[in-house]
Formats: sequence, structure tokens, C-alpha cells
Amino acid sequence: MEFLDNLGLGMSVALAPVNLLYGFLGVVLGTIIGVLPGLGPVATISILLPVTFTLQPQAAMIMLAGIYYGAQYGGSTTAILVNLPGESSSVVTCIDGYQMARQGKAGLALATAALASFLAGTIATFVIAFAAPALAEFALEFGPADYFSLMIFGLVAAVILAHGSVIKAIGMILTGILLGTIGIDANSSVPRYTFHIPQFGDGIDFAVIAMGVFGIGETIANLGRGAEAREYIKNYKGLWPSPKDLASIVAPALRGTALGSALGILPGGGPVLSSFSAYALEKKIAREPDRFGRGAIEGVAGPEAANNAAAQTAFIPLLTLGLPSSPVMALMIGALMMHGLHAGPQLVREQPDLFWGLVASMWIGNLMLVILNLPLVGIWAKMLTVPYRLLYPSILLICCIGVYSIHNDTLDVVIASVFGLVGYVLHRLQCEPAPMLLGFILGPLIEEHLRRALLISHGDPMIFVDRPISLTFLLLAGALVLLLCAPMIRSTRERVFVEEES
Amino acid sequence: MLRIRLSTDLLTGLLFLALGGFAIIYGWNYPVGSAVRMGPGYYPLLVSCGLALLGTILIIRSFFLPGETIGTIALRPLLFVLIGTLVFGLLVERTGFVLASIVLVFAARLADRDFRFTEVALLAALLIALIAGLFWLGLSLPLKPFVF
Repeated sequence: MEFLDNLGLGMSVALAPVNLLYGFLGVVLGTIIGVLPGLGPVATISILLPVTFTLQPQAAMIMLAGIYYGAQYGGSTTAILVNLPGESSSVVTCIDGYQMARQGKAGLALATAALASFLAGTIATFVIAFAAPALAEFALEFGPADYFSLMIFGLVAAVILAHGSVIKAIGMILTGILLGTIGIDANSSVPRYTFHIPQFGDGIDFAVIAMGVFGIGETIANLGRGAEAREYIKNYKGLWPSPKDLASIVAPALRGTALGSALGILPGGGPVLSSFSAYALEKKIAREPDRFGRGAIEGVAGPEAANNAAAQTAFIPLLTLGLPSSPVMALMIGALMMHGLHAGPQLVREQPDLFWGLVASMWIGNLMLVILNLPLVGIWAKMLTVPYRLLYPSILLICCIGVYSIHNDTLDVVIASVFGLVGYVLHRLQCEPAPMLLGFILGPLIEEHLRRALLISHGDPMIFVDRPISLTFLLLAGALVLLLCAPMIRSTRERVFVEEES
Repeated sequence: MLRIRLSTDLLTGLLFLALGGFAIIYGWNYPVGSAVRMGPGYYPLLVSCGLALLGTILIIRSFFLPGETIGTIALRPLLFVLIGTLVFGLLVERTGFVLASIVLVFAARLADRDFRFTEVALLAALLIALIAGLFWLGLSLPLKPFVF
């Protein structure tokens, strides 16, 4: 009964007119940036971060979360109609979604994507509602050594799940950790790597780096790629699938949901990896794998369910452990901190209206998104006719205004420009920026817990092995490293990513 | 356009080595302390040594496994976009967001070859109206349209 009471509390928060309004704003904005290629949730949430300061924390979190999972819906529209991923997590939807559209089944493809996402969103909401409070209870037992080992496990998982070279991914994490040490050391008050710049005392703001790399750097990379002529599908009639179509969607959508829910919790997993894996899974278990790439409906349902489920379960480690598993989740921590709230095991208990309101809002948000994305798909499709040459100056300008507004400091705009350059260099060097940002967020936390743990144990590193929770995470991390070395897994990992891109 | 034939591994390795080396040298005077009472230099030293080591591995490996090359660098977008955002940063407080935005939009559009003056001017005007309406008036962010 307690569970129903909690959901009731959540519904009363989520259905409050203000929260409903901000939730709606969030999913509309999410759909827009999802549809538009070149503008993703990281940059958008960074821009809106200073704005949310004036809102109630519930409204702020509901809106920001709506942007994130809303983008997963919007991204598939572009993938299906233009064969261009609106979001990086809809790359695989291009393969079969666009083929379906070319065969005159664009409406069915759009409906499949939206309904699979909705099914996934509904199930993922329940996964959070059941798993998060239990996990938070458990996490109250965690000591510094356990947190340290958990984060090491998280970073190892991020390396394995990263796209491309393992050594580069580890290097990017270390680079991020190093960037995270900039600022005055909390324990000794010694300024580290501040280069005598007073603003560096508090460290570089995460949102500034995120907007530099994902806003400015991505724009340069997109411009460098040059314009490609794309065939644009205008006919998307027949949005309502027949019962037979519906039946063929359910199984792959459920499999995608399970996969996405699991991978969403892991650091570095998230929507992109989930959609790739779901596609690989569907292709593997299909009776006629040849249909894939020629408009297989499972190739749309599975990945679309997976990326939406992952976008929601990513909130579990954030809300229960206070650990962000991706750059977007790190921004969520920032949003909570602006209201004096700390993400962590106490959050569920101390802020039940925030936690359950957010969970309930996810289901309501998903419902709004189905309506926004099916009957109203024409509006978003119109938006796709805006050429990139008008879009990217707008993205740059809004990014710059957003960066400046964080602290009203022009230095932040300069730093973001530098990270724009960094982002482009990393793009050319084929280094993924996401592990760097993860290292930047987790780095200071790892140092803090490492110091505390060794202080408690009087410098004895055995504390990490003696505590059962810590030992478990270290063993899991070790198992992942062994897996990585196994040649079979290695080749599968490469195949999952390479195959879909060629 | 600039084409670079070096392998991405070699250059990434050099970058990691340089960054790690720089962090070790710059942070040389930070007290390291001991495992029980870690000084501010302990953790950065650990991380930068790791980075330098990875860089070295990548460099050595690149001589045996050539891997992919860097390919073309989009110099024109790189220069104009960065000039645009940097100048925006320098101007936004000194002259207000109107002039800063005009400079950014024009610089950004110069990054692309297909530059049409009226279109860019209209775009700039539209975006400034949007910023003024949404961020300045609507959300009352502390922005100034003009500074004299």
C-alpha cells in the first residue's frame, strides 16, 4: 500500500498545474531539439540551467527530465523522414526507419517509434518507482571505500561501453579527472592548476565545458562535414498501425525496454549504446536477418524502446547514489544543487514529493509525447525544412548567451570557445568526449572518497577489499576488464558499433 | 581545408603525454603527503602519471599499428566559429548583447561558403528579437542590450 500512497503523492505533485505546464514545456522543447540535428539535450539543458533557478525544484527537475526523454522521441522523426539522426541515440533508427519510409510506410514507422517509446517509458517509470527506493535504502550503508569502488566500477564500465579505442577512452577519463582537479583543494586550501586566474578557484563549471564541447565543437564538426543532399519524405499518412502491426511491435519493444533499462543504469551506457545493442539483438534473433536494413519493423521498435527506457533509468543512480552516469545526469545534479538539494540516498526519504513527483511526471510526459509525436508530427516535420545554415548560427548564439548567463562572466564564454576547439580536435582524433566529461564529474568525488577511506583505515589500502560492498564492486570491475581482454567480446563490441555505421 | 596524414593514435598519444607531462611539472610543488594524509598533489600526480603513460603507449603502438589518419581539418568553420564566439564573449559586457550577437551571427555565417548578406542580416535581427524577448524581458537574465 505504501507504494500506491507514494505514487498518489507523485501524481498529486506531477498533476499540479505549474508542474504540468513545465513538464509540457520540457517535452515540447525536448521534441524540438530531438528533431533538429545538431542541438542535443546536453547543450539545451546547460542553457536552461540558470533559468531553472527561479523555479521550484520539482518544476525544474520535471522540465529538465522532460527535455531529456522528449529528445529520444523527437530524434526518431528526423531519422525516419530524412535519414539523419536528430539525436545520436537515433542513429540506428535511420537504417530501417528510413527504408520503411521510402516504401511508403513512413506513418507506420513513426507510429512504431512513438508507441515503442511509450511502452518503454511506461515500464521504465515503474522500474524506477520499484528499484530506486530500495536501492537508496541499501546505499545508506555505503561508506567512502564503497563509493570509491563503485565509481571505479562505473569508470571501467564507461570505458568498455565507449565507442572506439579503449586506450583513448581511458585517456579521456584521466584528462577529465585532471580538469576536475582545477580549483582550490578543499582539504588543504592549496590552489591547484588555477594559473592565477581568480575564477578558476571554484573550478571550471561543468555546463561551460559541456556547451563548449557539445554546442560549439559539434557545430564546427558538422560544418566541416559539409552539406549532403537528403531525400526528404513528405508522405506520412497511415499513422495508426493495424492490429497485426501492433502485434509485431510488442515483442521487440519489450526486449528493447529490458535491454535499455539495464544499460541506462550503467555509467557510460545510456540511450546511444542501448539503441545500438537493441538493434544488434533484434538482428541476431530474427528468423530472417536479411530483412534488416530493408525496412524491418523490429529494427525501429527495439532501438526506439531501448533509448527511451535508458533515458529514464539513467535517473536511478543519480537519485539513489548521487552518481551521474552521463553528462546530462551531471547537469541534473547541478540543477538540484542550485536549490540546495544533494542527490543521494537521502533524497527519496527527505524529498518524497520531489522524487515521486519526478517519477509520476515521467509517465505523464510520455503520454504527452505520444500525442505530440503522432497526431502533431506534421509540425515537427515542417521544422525539418529549416536549412542548417539558419540553424547553426542560432545554436551558437543561444549557447553563448547561455554560457554567459551562468555566472554573468565573459571568461566563461572564452573558456567555452576553448572547449569548442577541444571538442573539434577530439572529433578529428576520434576520441569520444563523453568519458572526459564523466571523468570531470566523478574525479573530484573519487579523490574525496579515496582520501576519506584511507584516513579511516590509517592508510591501509586493504579497506577496499575488507568491506564486502566495496569488494563486490572491485570484483565486478575486474570481471569487466577480463571480459574486455577476451577476444570474443572484443570483436563483438567492435562489430556492434562498426556494422551500423558503415 | 587542411589534410593531415598523421595517424590519430600518434597525435592523441602526443597530446596525452604533453598534458600529463605539463600537469606533473606545473604541479611539482604541490605537497604530495602520504596515503594516510594525502596532500593536494597526491591525486593529480597519480592521474597525470597515468595519462603520460597512456600517451607513451599510444605513441609506441602507432609505429606498429598505423591506424586511421586525421584527414581533413575544416579550417574555415573552425576559425570563423571560434572568432565569433570569442568576440561575442569580449563584447557582450562592453557593448551589450545586440552588437555582440550581430558579430557572432555574421562571423558564424562566414564559416560557411554560402553567405547572403540580407539573409544573414534578417537572421541576426530575428535572433536578437528572440533573445531580447525571451532571455532579457521574459526570463530577466541580467543582460544589457546596449552599453554606451
